[in-house]
Amino acid sequence: MKKDVIIRFVGSAGDGLVSIGILFSKILKKHNFNILGFRSYQSVIRGGYNTYQIRACNSKVLSVGEEADIIFLLNKNVAKLHKPTEGSKAMVIYDDDSFDLEDLDYPEDIKKLPIPLASITKEISKLRILKNIVGFGAISQILGLDETLIKEVIFEQFGSKGEEVIFTNNEALEKGIKYAEDNNWPELWEKHKYEKAQQMLISGNEALALGMLSAGLKFYSGYPMTPATSIVHYLTKHLPKLGIIVKQTEDEIAAIGMAVGASYCGARAATGTSGGGFSLMTEIIGMAGIEEIPLVVISSQRAGPSTGMATKTEQADLFQAYGASQGEFPKVIIAPYDVEDAFNVGIEALEIAEKYQVVVIVLMDLYLSESNSTVRKLDLRRKNKRFEILDNPPEDFRRYQFSENGISPRTIPGTKNGMFFTGSSERNEAGTSLASTLAGLPDTLPIRVKMVEKRMKKLDTLVKELENPQLEGTENAEITIVSWGSTINIVREAVLHLKEEGITANHLHLKYLNPFHEEVVTKILQKAKTTLCVEQNYTGQLRDYIRMKTGVNIEHKLLRWDGEPIVTSQIVAKVKEVVKNE
Amino acid sequence: MNKEFNLTIKDYESGFFPTWCPGCGNFSQWRAIRQALVELEIPKEEVVLVSGIGCSSHMPNFLDVYGLQTVHGRGIPVATGIRLANPELTVLVYAGDGDIYGIGGNHFLHSCRRNVDIITIVSNNFVYGLTTGQASATTPVGTFTRTTPRGSIENPLNPSTIAISAGATFVARAFSGDLKHLAYVLKEAIDHRGFAYVDVFSPCITFNKNQTFDYFRERVYKLEETEHDKEDYFAALDLSNQRFVKDKLPTGIFYQIEHKTTYEERDFSLNQGIIPAHAPLDLTEEQIETITEEFY
Repeated sequence: MKKDVIIRFVGSAGDGLVSIGILFSKILKKHNFNILGFRSYQSVIRGGYNTYQIRACNSKVLSVGEEADIIFLLNKNVAKLHKPTEGSKAMVIYDDDSFDLEDLDYPEDIKKLPIPLASITKEISKLRILKNIVGFGAISQILGLDETLIKEVIFEQFGSKGEEVIFTNNEALEKGIKYAEDNNWPELWEKHKYEKAQQMLISGNEALALGMLSAGLKFYSGYPMTPATSIVHYLTKHLPKLGIIVKQTEDEIAAIGMAVGASYCGARAATGTSGGGFSLMTEIIGMAGIEEIPLVVISSQRAGPSTGMATKTEQADLFQAYGASQGEFPKVIIAPYDVEDAFNVGIEALEIAEKYQVVVIVLMDLYLSESNSTVRKLDLRRKNKRFEILDNPPEDFRRYQFSENGISPRTIPGTKNGMFFTGSSERNEAGTSLASTLAGLPDTLPIRVKMVEKRMKKLDTLVKELENPQLEGTENAEITIVSWGSTINIVREAVLHLKEEGITANHLHLKYLNPFHEEVVTKILQKAKTTLCVEQNYTGQLRDYIRMKTGVNIEHKLLRWDGEPIVTSQIVAKVKEVVKNE
Repeated sequence: MNKEFNLTIKDYESGFFPTWCPGCGNFSQWRAIRQALVELEIPKEEVVLVSGIGCSSHMPNFLDVYGLQTVHGRGIPVATGIRLANPELTVLVYAGDGDIYGIGGNHFLHSCRRNVDIITIVSNNFVYGLTTGQASATTPVGTFTRTTPRGSIENPLNPSTIAISAGATFVARAFSGDLKHLAYVLKEAIDHRGFAYVDVFSPCITFNKNQTFDYFRERVYKLEETEHDKEDYFAALDLSNQRFVKDKLPTGIFYQIEHKTTYEERDFSLNQGIIPAHAPLDLTEEQIETITEEFY
């Protein structure tokens, strides 16, 4: 039987929504559900209207979904603010000791499920968090979950806090289950045995961090900025055991400067921020580019411009990344598309950076950074190797020696006879500055020309190594949908829905944005009956970018810039409209 | 004395003669840095000289060590990253007053409090030289420059006082016109455990007609020839301010303490003796278990 449920916890900042969301996700994960969880919140520390929505399926979860089946209201204020959509048949659970929903204008089909959380927990302990566990018990009764498995999660979560904590939590759980049973709450699914789960529950940022660690990340620096900060939070957690350096700096300029320094020295290094911090980093991105120092820069996009909407998602920094820093130099831009892909990109980005001695920009977005998703067990065991580092440089070592593929092997400080000068100015093969030391000498012009070519050639070499973009779905579809970044699975879900309605759509998703597979993309788009670009921005940046790179004009666009992730029904509706008018 | 060490000051030259104006204050620093390295017997491959942008920042071109010129003002963070990735290296920052006190001021402040074991040498000529003579953060009030044709109306900052109050563990000043003393101060700075900072009065003979070699010769005196106790914080603060009070310019070590732990000693990875630049890339089974446990 297909199982697919959406549970939404609604509360304020300070209610511990993330902990609640993660804990309930873990309970569902224990039952072998696939999960996607996403928090919608504001830039405040206390108060406001926040939600944590979980979608659990026994098949792959492609989006967090739209209408919730079960809503758990955590306080009175949000109960007033919460407006269920007309026609919603959601079950709304709330603490009727604290407030009632009678005077609120809720649609008729909403099923109100009051539960006296305060009185129930009072019998156990004063701990407020127990209210949530009682609620979990009641929800688990609706979903037909296995009490033993939930208790396993409670043990794993609170085991370190002692027996009493486990005992009270278990008691709260039992009381929640019993209350739902006694009051004949609806039962969505019947109780049955669940297979043992092997999956991980992890966010996009954490997966990216794991990927980098697995590829030998040794240095990470950053300045706090949503939605990139959680990378630092995660990396610092296990610092002594990992033996890596994680550095919070005075600003983003220092963050990227330190990462460049560490990388120059041979440590695999990365830095991370969002658009605002990325703006500050751009000058040094160019420096790393001309000095050919490997560097990974993560930029997790949020709604701009300027401070914009700090806790909301957007995909509007493609041109910022593409145009970062003055002049021309090879710059790699990769946009991971889901949590598991973020792990792969973490590995790939560090390797490309070292092998090609280039800056790799990893363009995340808030929706991907902060989504918590179940993924298959990620394999962190790797046999890493080093690229293009000389331990015993030849006597005539020239750091920037011209080469077929544009790559010149480097030495790192500490290596005997490997000393060289590098600077942010143009240079000759030995590294000597054309601007100062060799200023005005007649043979400097041809050297400049060749040096630019040498650097840019690296992209031509790299593009052949990167996997070609693939068209997903039937070749002769009525429409080709184009997307990038975190919208991939939402588009996939829309394609499935459209198929059910008899409309065929195929899907071109772009992960490697620079270097760009111009020919492949051109061919795919030219074959399409009609095309639609789906993006989280106002101007259609990918659409413009594709036209710039290929000359192909994508006919239609579906854009969203209100800060919330695009939803499946939007895409379905847009495709229907386009196909009808074709 | 290391018997195997037989390098001379000449061996640390890159083979390119500096492109500074003849008579520039940077020349004696070019010599003094090499002299200090030779006296301390630091092999060339273990030295990284990081600079920014400006006349003085051309320095790494002229030394046969690992040399890295950054963009304007960013030598300190880059040097910090180098040192943290490999604490076996001797890492020097060399740049001008515009670079370190102006555009890079924030990094200067934080490097003082952070106490990473790097050495920052500032060639302070009280003017922007490479851009042909504009006011800098150390230009005195009333000075005529190309951006202050009616005389500078901003107060200059006093970098040594700032460094001491920001927590630097080695703060000194030297004068380009006194090579012997300059080399001594630099040697002490490099030998210091923790962040060391040296402000060098280094006349710009082309764009600064005020702070000239003669100007300094008339005013400087050496703290080493006085009773100054370099561990005395308040005495150090007071002396570093004398420029504004008595028109006397003390040079030498204002302040030096060795009892403060360095960043490297406090860092949870480096204090295990790990050298990130050379540490194995692959995670161990135990590490994998630790870092993934929370996801199950």
